[in-house]
Amino acid sequence: MNKIAKGAIATGVGIVLLAGGGGTLAVWNQTDIGTQGKISAGDLNLVAGTGVWKNAKNEDITIGSYRVVPGEVLTYTQPLTVTLEGDLMVAHLTLTGASPVNGFVPADVTTSTTLTDAAGVTVEGNTPLDKDHDGDFTATTTFAFRLGTEGRSSVNATYDFKDIGYMLEQQTPNADIVAPPVGP
Amino acid sequence: MKTTRTLKATGLVLIAVVLGLLTVQGSYALWNKVATSNAGTIQAADFNVTLAKNLTDKPISMTTDQGTAATLQLTTKPLGVVKPGDSAYAGVQVGNMTNASADFKIQVLLGAPTITNNNSQWPLAQYLSIKAVEAPSLAECGSALFSPSTPASPAPLEIAKGANGVFCFQVSLAATMPATFNGQAASISVPITVNQF
Repeated sequence: MNKIAKGAIATGVGIVLLAGGGGTLAVWNQTDIGTQGKISAGDLNLVAGTGVWKNAKNEDITIGSYRVVPGEVLTYTQPLTVTLEGDLMVAHLTLTGASPVNGFVPADVTTSTTLTDAAGVTVEGNTPLDKDHDGDFTATTTFAFRLGTEGRSSVNATYDFKDIGYMLEQQTPNADIVAPPVGP
Repeated sequence: MKTTRTLKATGLVLIAVVLGLLTVQGSYALWNKVATSNAGTIQAADFNVTLAKNLTDKPISMTTDQGTAATLQLTTKPLGVVKPGDSAYAGVQVGNMTNASADFKIQVLLGAPTITNNNSQWPLAQYLSIKAVEAPSLAECGSALFSPSTPASPAPLEIAKGANGVFCFQVSLAATMPATFNGQAASISVPITVNQF
């Protein structure tokens, strides 16, 4: 055989070998789909509604034009809408900016803010809130101008609540809310 | 060579610190949301009490700009000298001019008068007596408001927000004053205290 014939035969053998290698892909195989499903993220949100100031007579007042005198107690009630979605969601609802710009003599006034859930239960800063607490909360701030204020103390003074707010902050899920392992 | 090792060690420490900071930061990077209260600003009312001696002059504030008590010089009527056995009258109008939003009543109390002799050699004070009563207005301050049974000190005056009250004073010179005291004078000071009521 001449060189050309030998080359042709070698090429043919190579093609046959390639075809044989392809045959190895044709063994049994099976595919299936995963059942992981779809993961949905939860939600955390806090929306402060419009608050209302009332005086000691339980009358609505416009705080911008109201002038308070010793002996009065003013109350600010504000609805909070808390969104807590997530099976292991844990969050804390706290006050922020607890240092208002206070032009009153400190001894003349007392202020306090309480947060309560929809059932009226007081929520402390370390109270764990989970998805069952999703819903309405109420923030109640009281401002008391002490009746025993002497002389002309705190006349024309101002008390600015501009820095006061609320923070809803997710906490790291802990063992308390993790479902216990299934027993034998 | 030693410098190179030192630099490497420093680099490792820096990387560790950065990683540590990132790790700590990461622990706080959970969801959170902040809302403001928009509660506004509370303003205290003023405590503005005015004093007037007549209906023509502008009332003055009971407190000066320096925060001290103001003094109001009253004008007696009739004007001029008082003869032994006669009386002179003077009134002061107290106004509750607060800008308080709620009800704000004040109570006005008169203190004991202090009589100061202008000439210590002629102590006229011993022949002077003072009475005060609540009056309907400054214009009605006069002898008709007084009688021998009128007590020296009136009951406290209660004044509602935006209203006025008047005290009328009667200063009497005893009929027994010796003629040697003629022409002498004395100053009378009556402290007024106002409380929130």
